[in-house]
Amino acid sequence: MNQRDLELLSSYLDGQLKPSDSARLEARLSSDPDLRVVLNDLRAARGLLRRLPMRKAPRNFTLTPQMVGKDPPLPRSYPAFRFVTALATLLLFFTVGLNFLAPQLASQSPAYGMGGGGAPDVFSAQVPAPAATEAPATGAPALEAPAAEVPAEPPSAELAPRPTATAAAADTARQAETPAEKNGFTGDATVQNQPQAQNQIARPVPSTWQLLFAGIAIVGALMMVMMRRQAAERWRRK
Amino acid sequence: MNEQALIQDAQGGNLDAFNTLILHYQDSVFNTALRILGDDDLAADATQEAFISAFKSIASFRGGSFKAWLMRTVTNACYDELRRQKRRPTTPLEPDTEDGDEMDSPRWLADPGMTPDQKAEADEVEHALQHCLNNLPLEFKTVVIMADIQGMDYSEVAVAVRVPLGTIKSRLARARLRLRECLQGFAELLPASFRLEEGSGAS
Repeated sequence: MNQRDLELLSSYLDGQLKPSDSARLEARLSSDPDLRVVLNDLRAARGLLRRLPMRKAPRNFTLTPQMVGKDPPLPRSYPAFRFVTALATLLLFFTVGLNFLAPQLASQSPAYGMGGGGAPDVFSAQVPAPAATEAPATGAPALEAPAAEVPAEPPSAELAPRPTATAAAADTARQAETPAEKNGFTGDATVQNQPQAQNQIARPVPSTWQLLFAGIAIVGALMMVMMRRQAAERWRRK
Repeated sequence: MNEQALIQDAQGGNLDAFNTLILHYQDSVFNTALRILGDDDLAADATQEAFISAFKSIASFRGGSFKAWLMRTVTNACYDELRRQKRRPTTPLEPDTEDGDEMDSPRWLADPGMTPDQKAEADEVEHALQHCLNNLPLEFKTVVIMADIQGMDYSEVAVAVRVPLGTIKSRLARARLRLRECLQGFAELLPASFRLEEGSGAS
């Protein structure tokens, strides 16, 4: 008995052969007793298997939430709260980031001109000061004081024209906006007032919006926690 | 039972809907596991595992025969159990006779609705069949259990064991022949119906 015939007989038993194949096999079965024996063997085995009693399940296999590690069913409005909370949180982070980065970005574009002139300004304004105060203490000749003062002025005088046109424009704009700088245009004053000026200049999103987003995110998160708790309590009571 | 609606609900996480499906299929699933593993307790464990696994992965069910999909899950659970057994062989909890031999037909397996004679006959046939099933290669056993014991059609079996239809036909034919050869060793235990069928012609 070859494998092909065995498969044909088995499929024939299950009615899985095409009518033409079935007719051909039946013709062979009528003339081949060996083939008939195998067919009967297959049928006998199948008959016994089919007669095997179906056992009833020894118990119910229904699942509990604990078995599948499942969370309690949440209210239908839960996904909406989750979406709003997530959106508000994202917007909050985005606006905070934007407000933080915007002044830096604004100051970076003209920084090439300002940076070049700004640092030496501070240096030149601070360095000569001790020399000027030391002069009377050490009792040095009066000539030293002017000598010390002389280099103090030229650097600032030298550096003043150095900034580029854009930096100069930025400086004038800052002067116009901050009255404090109008009075004394010293290096220290410029360094101290710069962040304030930047904060005032570039804050694209008002803080009221940030407060609103933070409020929505907090309220949403609290609602979600409450919903989860209530659902868990209902689940436990079931 | 609206199976499609229950499946959809279960896919949405509704455990009650899935439990309704379990109640409908648990006998089939348990019997498949029992015939593959040949042990009630192991079959019960595999059935439970299969249903847990089925619930967790029900989102992957894309239509077709749900029974075939469940059978694939229980088959996998049985294979896992057999692999575990290979790693940690255990002693079967078969009851012993006074001589210390294993009882062929444990009384607790019998259907209480049968007469003593029917019970004895059923026990003998069942035991002989289970013995022969256990001697089959696993892939043959799975196919013959699904096709002949569960009454699934070839395409359902092909889905359940994930092999082509031609392979199903081949495995089924060879499994039946091997079973027949094995059962000849139990000829005196088998009922007259078996011997009668042996002599009947092709239908």
